[in-house]
Amino acid sequence: MLLLPTTTYRATAFVEAARQLGVELTVASEQPSTFDRANPAGLIVLDLKNPDHAAAEAIAFARKQPIAAVAGVDDDTAIVAATIAERLGLKGIPPHAARAARDKHQQRELLAKAGVPIPRFTLRRLAEDPAAIAQTLTYPCVLKPLNLSASRGVIRADNAKGFVAAHSRLQAIVCEPDASFLIEEFIPGYEVALEGLVVNRRLHVLAIFDKPDPLDGPFFEETIYVTPSTVPAALQGAIKDCADRAVRALGITEGPVHAELRYNERGPCLIELAARPIGGRCSAVLRFGDKKISLEEVILRHALGMPMPSLQRESLAAGVMMIPIPGAGRLREIRGVAEAKAVPLVEDVQITAHPGEQLVPFPEGSRYPGFIFARGEAPGVVESALRQAHARLQFVLDPA
Amino acid sequence: MNAEIRITAEPIDNQRCKFVLNVPVLEGGVRRFAGAEEAKGSPLAEAIFAIPALGATELIVSGNIVTVVKQNPTPWQAVGKAVGAAIRSAVASGVPAVAASPKSPDAVDDDALYEQVAKVFDEQVNPMVARHGGRVELIDVQDAVVMLRMGGGCQGCGMADVTLRQGIEGMLAQLVPAVRGIVDITDHTTGANPYFQASKK
Repeated sequence: MLLLPTTTYRATAFVEAARQLGVELTVASEQPSTFDRANPAGLIVLDLKNPDHAAAEAIAFARKQPIAAVAGVDDDTAIVAATIAERLGLKGIPPHAARAARDKHQQRELLAKAGVPIPRFTLRRLAEDPAAIAQTLTYPCVLKPLNLSASRGVIRADNAKGFVAAHSRLQAIVCEPDASFLIEEFIPGYEVALEGLVVNRRLHVLAIFDKPDPLDGPFFEETIYVTPSTVPAALQGAIKDCADRAVRALGITEGPVHAELRYNERGPCLIELAARPIGGRCSAVLRFGDKKISLEEVILRHALGMPMPSLQRESLAAGVMMIPIPGAGRLREIRGVAEAKAVPLVEDVQITAHPGEQLVPFPEGSRYPGFIFARGEAPGVVESALRQAHARLQFVLDPA
Repeated sequence: MNAEIRITAEPIDNQRCKFVLNVPVLEGGVRRFAGAEEAKGSPLAEAIFAIPALGATELIVSGNIVTVVKQNPTPWQAVGKAVGAAIRSAVASGVPAVAASPKSPDAVDDDALYEQVAKVFDEQVNPMVARHGGRVELIDVQDAVVMLRMGGGCQGCGMADVTLRQGIEGMLAQLVPAVRGIVDITDHTTGANPYFQASKK
């Protein structure tokens, strides 16, 4: 059973992986498919916002249609998958570990308790007087909502005035007057992402991505990921060790993990850990073993207990650019896609925004208009190809 | 003429890639080639099956889209340009790049299958996808492989593959079991009104 929210980018990759494996698939979404009545064993609706309800529904379904494995694809469905797996006795992580990975404050408390290096943090409420909070802080700091994804609502503040402004902006994004939010120490340094698979409590590193564009704020829009990392091997070892400690601290025992870390002269520091695979369409850059199988196939094989081929990533360097949101406005057209695809080493340019769509820049928005993929002999040439391709794209927007 | 032909490669996965041209390759129909033998007489198909590093196993030409299926693990990055060059050369040559489909003994079966699949589309598939403002157009049936194009809310929808594999494919397997496969030739990047819009990790 695959838990696919209708807002995910991951449907194609997971459905194709299931087809490659020849497994019988049930897709569970929060909204009905047009074919749910025609294929009641293959398409069901689950309350993905409520893990307990979803688990009860899944158990009822499993009485008629046995489930061999359950997999989520994002932060929210990871909790649902964990709950269903626990109740059905399937492979999965404990629900408390999935919840801890989802809730940024709970995650930090567990990581701090376990001695994992993380930024100093404090939890505050949006209803509090921002001017009063601002007087108590050390700058620069970063404001983070607790449950949003993809750096949405994450804002750096360099002084009290900046904090008050950021607080006001965050209030408008979260839309819950009494919601809590995190204030974190800003960690200067170079950022990397680690993609891993936990098998029987042991973290296997699938890839470490460099993020060559500085993520210093005031907003934290991702752009380029390139692997293999050019970080020195010893430091990569320290990064892996840091992620491993975090995985253990949260109690993640099985399944995919995605971590964001920074490092500087003090060593690596864990910024975020998620009990899910890399987001968006970025997983397309990862291929494993002689048969170059996808990350999604690795995840499904692991969930189903199927034989696992080598988890060694291919020898070529690979990278993806999440195309930066070009501004606020209604998308009229995108020019230069063919020219971008013609850049040597570029494998594909996938435009996911559609004509007429309203583009919303960070921090209010977080939906990238598309992705550029490249592969080559070395990380440097891949990064260069991604930048060249992006330079050939032209977004034509009508004013918002 | 070469300079006027623009081709963009849109890999679907490591086996399949769509090459979208700014000019038509085959107007008013679809032609599927299941191997080099069938390609004889169609310069475009002959050229693509002859690319040694490609290992093409199937080719589908429809309108301005050429879909290539290969078994070779070589990434599209390494072979895509050779495919593009073959397409460009064939289209620019001035002679028809793709010959009309020959009538084979199996053609009658395809015609019969087409009728059955069209009935399923009209009576079951389209009323269902219409609930989400979508439509599915049957383009052709060749060698028992159904070629379809999605439109309306289905075009560019984040769940289009779920509809295709968990819905349409399953329904055809049950109602028209002679169907061997489905190929979606939709250009999902131009969908202006997708029913489900991907937006989060």
